[in-house]
Amino acid sequence: MGVGKKLIGWLDERTGLVALIKGGLDEDVPGGARVRYVFGSVLTYLFLQQVVLGILLATYYSPSATDAWASTAFIQDRVAGGWFLRGLHHHGSSVMVVVVVLHLLQVVLAGAYRKPREVNWWTGLFMGGLVLAFALTGYLLPWDQKGYWATQVATGIMGTVPLGEPMQHTLQGGAQYGNLTITRFYALHVFVLPVTLTVLLGAHLYLFRRHGVTPPASLSDEELARKTQPFWPNQLFIDVAAMAVTGAVLVWMTYRTHGAELFAPADPASNFVARPEWYFLFLFQLLKYFEGPLSIIATVIIPGGVATFLFALPFIDRSESRAAKKRGPVLAGVGLIMVGVVVLTALAVVADANNEHYQEGLVAAHEDAERTRELAAEGVPPEGGTAVWQNDPQYAAIAVFKETCATCHEIDGRGAEEAPSLTHYNDRAWLRGAVREPRSLTYFGGTKGHEEMEAYSVEDLPDEQLDAVIEFLLELREQGKDEPDPSAYDAKLAKQGAALWEDELDCSGCHEIEKGADGVGTPVFWGRGTRAWIARVIRNSSQADLYGENAEMPAFEGKLSDEEIAALADYVYAQGLAD
Amino acid sequence: MSDEAKGQDTQTPSEGDDTRRAFLKVGVGALGAGLAAVVVAPALRYSLWPLAEGVEVTSGGDEFVVVGKRDQFGAVPVKVDIFADRVDAWNRTKNVKIGSAWVVELDGQLHAFSSVCPHLGCAVDYEAESDKFVCPCHDSAFGLDGAHEAGPSPRPLDQLEFEEQQDGKLLAIRFERFKQGIEDKVKV
Ligand code: FES
Repeated sequence: MGVGKKLIGWLDERTGLVALIKGGLDEDVPGGARVRYVFGSVLTYLFLQQVVLGILLATYYSPSATDAWASTAFIQDRVAGGWFLRGLHHHGSSVMVVVVVLHLLQVVLAGAYRKPREVNWWTGLFMGGLVLAFALTGYLLPWDQKGYWATQVATGIMGTVPLGEPMQHTLQGGAQYGNLTITRFYALHVFVLPVTLTVLLGAHLYLFRRHGVTPPASLSDEELARKTQPFWPNQLFIDVAAMAVTGAVLVWMTYRTHGAELFAPADPASNFVARPEWYFLFLFQLLKYFEGPLSIIATVIIPGGVATFLFALPFIDRSESRAAKKRGPVLAGVGLIMVGVVVLTALAVVADANNEHYQEGLVAAHEDAERTRELAAEGVPPEGGTAVWQNDPQYAAIAVFKETCATCHEIDGRGAEEAPSLTHYNDRAWLRGAVREPRSLTYFGGTKGHEEMEAYSVEDLPDEQLDAVIEFLLELREQGKDEPDPSAYDAKLAKQGAALWEDELDCSGCHEIEKGADGVGTPVFWGRGTRAWIARVIRNSSQADLYGENAEMPAFEGKLSDEEIAALADYVYAQGLAD
Repeated sequence: MSDEAKGQDTQTPSEGDDTRRAFLKVGVGALGAGLAAVVVAPALRYSLWPLAEGVEVTSGGDEFVVVGKRDQFGAVPVKVDIFADRVDAWNRTKNVKIGSAWVVELDGQLHAFSSVCPHLGCAVDYEAESDKFVCPCHDSAFGLDGAHEAGPSPRPLDQLEFEEQQDGKLLAIRFERFKQGIEDKVKV
């Protein structure tokens, strides 16, 4: 006897292991092994794989509003194999839903829900429900835009049903989404649901073994007995082959999509085009058809009716025989439900495909996703989620602006008025205003020592002429750029403006327009308003072609880094682009 | 179980044994229930704590928040983000986005609408082609005055309170959330 055998013998004597395994595998399959019996095994395999993958993900994932997105992005984009394991877990849930439906259809076709297997049918339905609950709770955990908004709709539905509000608030841990929503969904997803499913799965398998497979109704008892094959290895081989096919599909899906999507971090202020995962689209579509108080038809009555129908199936089905022919109405009922689901899903997909607004939103969402994940590579600030944008130079500029510039300048109402407003700085309306009312607080009214410039009234400078002058100023600005953009101004108007400047206006008394000229404590207009010009003003505005001796603004050269000045200049420049 | 033990078990029990066993059975049940209650009772309060009187899990943003200059708003709706210091359970974050609002001026009258769809909470968008607010989820549509025009939403868009600060130069909004899916506008 080999050592291995000896060891097994030793263990068996003390545990009865061999008998246990034998008991597990020794099972007659009346009528022989069949492909149609594989679904339960495939689901068991998928569930076990999900458990393993889930544990692996949990070793990097951090369930909190500040960390969830950052840690998911870390798994997805940094950790070796992270995208692959996360992708398998994500697509695994989709595949599970598909196989659950196939399993259910097979059971219905075979009439396996009938006496004496009612309880097994019910445990199966419960487990199907749990699979959906897994999907719903798992969807939120990355705390990205998609999960956040789609789950809002789901919990929102919960809040609208009778007595739903306390349920909703218990589930999401308060009236709003936040840290407690994640910890609760996480606890459900990784403890409550798996434990419940495991218990039900145990019961399901026990009952299955107690009653055996439901062989084809067309075979007589004799035939069944004659064709009987053992579970091991005949059926098990088919089962494992089916698992292998499923696994191959899963790997293929995961590679093809580079794992699961991860959108930008959840942002309660954005307008994200929320869609649930594909297998919930039919419910989503259903919601569109019922207005106001009738919503309950879509949220409770129809889904509740379908669930009740399925649960009551063993009692509804009163036919003598299991043969499919004899159970027309029951099969038609289930078939109708399936057709409804498929049609509604198709309608939702088609509606979105034809919805430009949605398509644009999706493109924007993907851009945001890409950008935020790039920024996340530098590390997400501890405020988490959307704070990742702070890594963006423009957001850094906003922070510097608030700290350094807002004591005098304002943008969009935030900041002081002791210097010109930078809201829409240098766009056409801003420039027009500067000519019409330079003394107002928006322009130089709040700036010390800038009393010289006189307003041009409509009588002296009619609107059409002013518009021409503005185009001329924009042309002068463009000339100062390395690559002037001729579409930034109207060339014809600009020409008129140049003529007015030469012949009629008093502006040239103080403002030069020549490249390289010096002002008289007034900015030269050649190149005024470009990014580079703004950066120079920030560095030191007392240069002769800027504000010269009239310069009030402190020089930030040396106080701010070159990058900060460049980012600020970009930010201020961008204010004028909105028009 | 050894054979001896089995032997004892099969002896016909006396009446005293019966009562004693009845007592033991009740005892097992009572002790078991007691042990479970040690956890279950506090667990209920613990889990339902967010619903308890006076508990506010998330707070912040109840004040008026400046969203921009009054004169930047006009007949074309503008979306503004609302920033506030927010406490979310154990975290306090300064100056984070807590929501957004659409601001529009109609016939000289300013309106500020929460961007949260009264149906189920998706973010409502402005669609320039139709000059309407539309929800990307279940296709509810609203006029610029917030009136419900199509789709499943049970009520018009939710008006937010606003203030014109600094002699009417700045606009400040108080961002609030309202219950979804019902006809009345009720604060959550
Ligand atoms: S959430 Fe806006 S229509 Fe449903």
